[in-house]
Amino acid sequence: MKIARTLIRIGVSVFSILLAMATGAILILVIGKDPVVAYGYLFRGAFGSLPSIGETIVKVTPLIFTGLAAVFSYQCGMLNLGIEGQFIAGAIVSNWLSTLVIPFSGPANTILSLLGGMIAGALWGAIPGFLKAYRGLNEMIVGILLNYIALLFMSYLFAGPLMEANIPQTAAVEQADRLARILPPTRVHLGIVIALATLIFVYYFLYYTSGGFRLRVVGSNPIAARVNGLPVKRMTILSFLASGAIAGLGGAVEILGVSYRLMGGFGAGFGFDGVAIALIGQLNPIGTGFVAYLFAVLRVGANTMQVGAGIPSAIVDVVQAIIIIFAVAATGLVSLPEFQKFTARFAKKEKGA
Amino acid sequence: METILNFAFLENLLVSMIRMATPLLLAGLGELYSEKAGMVNIGLDGIMTIGAGVGFIVGYLSGNPLLGLFAGSLAGVALNLIYAFSTISLRSGQTINGMALNILAPALSTFLSRTMFGVKTTLMKGATIGNLSVPVLSEIPFIGPILFKAHPVSYFALFLVLVTLWFFRRTKPGLNYLAVGEYPRAAESMGVNVTKTKYLSCIICGFLAGMGGAYLTTCYIGAYAEGVVAGRGFIALSAVIFGNWTGAGVLLATLLFGLADAVQLRFQVLFRDIPYQLLSMLPYLMTIFVLLMSNKQSNEPKANGQPYAREGK
Repeated sequence: MKIARTLIRIGVSVFSILLAMATGAILILVIGKDPVVAYGYLFRGAFGSLPSIGETIVKVTPLIFTGLAAVFSYQCGMLNLGIEGQFIAGAIVSNWLSTLVIPFSGPANTILSLLGGMIAGALWGAIPGFLKAYRGLNEMIVGILLNYIALLFMSYLFAGPLMEANIPQTAAVEQADRLARILPPTRVHLGIVIALATLIFVYYFLYYTSGGFRLRVVGSNPIAARVNGLPVKRMTILSFLASGAIAGLGGAVEILGVSYRLMGGFGAGFGFDGVAIALIGQLNPIGTGFVAYLFAVLRVGANTMQVGAGIPSAIVDVVQAIIIIFAVAATGLVSLPEFQKFTARFAKKEKGA
Repeated sequence: METILNFAFLENLLVSMIRMATPLLLAGLGELYSEKAGMVNIGLDGIMTIGAGVGFIVGYLSGNPLLGLFAGSLAGVALNLIYAFSTISLRSGQTINGMALNILAPALSTFLSRTMFGVKTTLMKGATIGNLSVPVLSEIPFIGPILFKAHPVSYFALFLVLVTLWFFRRTKPGLNYLAVGEYPRAAESMGVNVTKTKYLSCIICGFLAGMGGAYLTTCYIGAYAEGVVAGRGFIALSAVIFGNWTGAGVLLATLLFGLADAVQLRFQVLFRDIPYQLLSMLPYLMTIFVLLMSNKQSNEPKANGQPYAREGK
């Protein structure tokens, strides 16, 4: 039965992805272009050469972090929508530490900047968790509002106190302090290793430790958790702290690995992408990793498609959003009693035969 | 300071407050109708975004901003029907469906506008619906410009507040509607069609939030840019909570948020040495602060956010 349920979950995700791609093809037809040509460009753009494959790995790195941040909070029953703000907080602090505060250069600088970013993300993430636990505020609304505040604060910094040479951007992280490139000539950097390590850690924690088990109990049944004496409030805050830490680490990795500096548009969309990835990945860390890679492929391929086939790259965002609509709706559908009855009858027949 | 805090400043501020409160009020009322039927829709921001996008495109292409406003409202309905079908008929979670709208709408709006207009570096300006001057009354000093020279959509939103108060307090359909959000099982046994009411609530919410978004691009700015809604959907959601799920409460809350927005806009003009990014934080900080002040003894519908299955299913 457990295997059957897992299969249904994977089936829902795969089915949603295929259906959304088909919907995307219809949209391309509607605007008068050839979907086969378009998708051809898209996949060639993502897999056609070593640099393009490298680029998909560069793009998947932050998405793994934001996806995991969403998984972690949602497993505890909290929808952290402040991931983008936490990502930005991590990026701000790591850039600031690396370029202005830490007096020495080299790996120690990198590690301290990463840690600083992680702590900044955790603290920024703790705010909605704290307000939820002790004041009963809606954590989703507070999270979103904090995103806007973090975004505005970042643009204040790079156009004000941290501005370098009259261009609205901060100084770049120095060569020696950056995360090393591990697959030249591509831009792939050590960040992907950190991302995968985080993924394995989150998976292990959620499914193989008692802390992770308690967290999931709070998420699936907060009343039962409270009756059994679990400190629900403290776990709510802890889940936000951890979720924010993952997002903040993602922001720091993005700064130290590819962006190097803060500027307009940094971090845009990573938060909601993370939520989408986690939901399509059925809140499973490994599923999240796969979906994050799919999103990265679509993102990288979209640029090639825009240049080659003249289709706005925004169509990829539409396809991604449609995947999540289908995934959410299909998850609802398979848990309807009508559907359960239908599958039960089907299973019985199979046993009889 | 005394040169700033004079009558002209106050007048400008209050005019601006009403202008900024209008989209919040429309969306907030939409959410109120939704939640009164037990449907928490966190996708309000997405509905506003599609309203803003479609509203601008139709208004620009037809040269008729009123048509744009209407089209934006209908686009809001169309988008929200996805949410309605998935949550009511398929009984999937309201929160994640709302989130899905928030992700879909900006993508769809950007795609539509890029398909129609290509990627342009300059901001395209469309026609806007102007303000409405009530003859004679608008000549009254101070009060006239604030109350009798406002935007027709602002008047419409205020009128809706009155309709809402009347509907929920004085009419039988209104009471039936409330029952759906409070005790859907009891409502069903009294012969109220719960499913139909819930769908209706989503249509109203989509229409009003879509109009709130379209107001931004067809009445207020006359242009569409990504991020034009800037989280107003979430501020409107907060207004429903702070307004304690009543029409009058939503009105007061949105006026307060409108004031915060008006203050920061005025200050941007007056104090050029304060970085505008810091001033722009004000509405968001204000919203968090106001949520902190919301009292716990809430008027929230008892079955708010819960899925509904008919007896025996």
